[in-house]
Amino acid sequence: MRTRRLSRRSEEMVVLEIEVSIMPHEFFIGPVNVGLSVVVAWCVIAVIIVLLLLAQLRIRKFTTKPKGLQLVLELIVENVKKFSVSQGGHKAGYAAPAILTMMVYVFFTTLPELFGLPPATEDINCTLALGLCAFITVNATAVHALGVRGRLRAWAQPVAAVAPIRVLTDMIAPFSMAIRLFANVLAGGVLMKLIYMALPVVLPAALSAYFNVLHVMIQTFVFGMLTLLYISEATE
Amino acid sequence: MSTIGIIALAAGLYVIVGSAVALSMGNAISHAVDAIARQPEASGKISSSLMIGFVMLETIAIYGLLVSILMMFVLAGRV
Repeated sequence: MRTRRLSRRSEEMVVLEIEVSIMPHEFFIGPVNVGLSVVVAWCVIAVIIVLLLLAQLRIRKFTTKPKGLQLVLELIVENVKKFSVSQGGHKAGYAAPAILTMMVYVFFTTLPELFGLPPATEDINCTLALGLCAFITVNATAVHALGVRGRLRAWAQPVAAVAPIRVLTDMIAPFSMAIRLFANVLAGGVLMKLIYMALPVVLPAALSAYFNVLHVMIQTFVFGMLTLLYISEATE
Repeated sequence: MSTIGIIALAAGLYVIVGSAVALSMGNAISHAVDAIARQPEASGKISSSLMIGFVMLETIAIYGLLVSILMMFVLAGRV
């Protein structure tokens, strides 16, 4: 009886120590609860805009022979364009700027986990919005490549009877992307919290290089790749 | 059996999902290595489609992990 009560108490302690919730932390601006993750995302967007303005000031004028910062920026843009065309077919080049934007957003809003802040992508609302953006990108590219009638006709491609299933598959895609991104970031955060609980000295520094940096890069890459995969399916 | 014990059992069932995904990943890797051994010049295309397949498989594993994490932390916190 006594051991059971003891074990029950230790279970409660574990449950209380790691606080995992799908709801974002509260953050009140006036009477409105906007959520801490939204505020973090705003700060990250502000930092990115300031950095881009500084880059604009630094470069001043774009030259045909790039060097320095301009070379780095052009390399990034060029590589994303090449990556889009190689993964999503030559029609996916149209969507490359949107994909670069989404990848930058995912990367920089997940990175604050390094500083102990809740990442914005740990909030299901954020990832659902990202999924919606990816969905709009996919459909805009498909309409741009095939036209509205071509896009509608592509749904009834092998036989008209499969059209409902294909529409359903397309509608499920943003939810699937949103939930996988959310769950990946959440799982990384929970693992890091468990490691901090087990050994808070040396191990977290080594492992957070993987879970907070490399894992984020992989998720960013996967998000872009999945969007391109859906684009290549839609523009076929 | 207490409620927390039942929740722990249900969360542990996630291992079934994990082992199924591990089996299919092993199958995919073995076929990809086979294909690369037959046609080494096509290794780039094969490994990129292997990556896409891994992402799809990993999605299933992550769904299971999400359900398991939510059961362990959110559901157990409410009992």
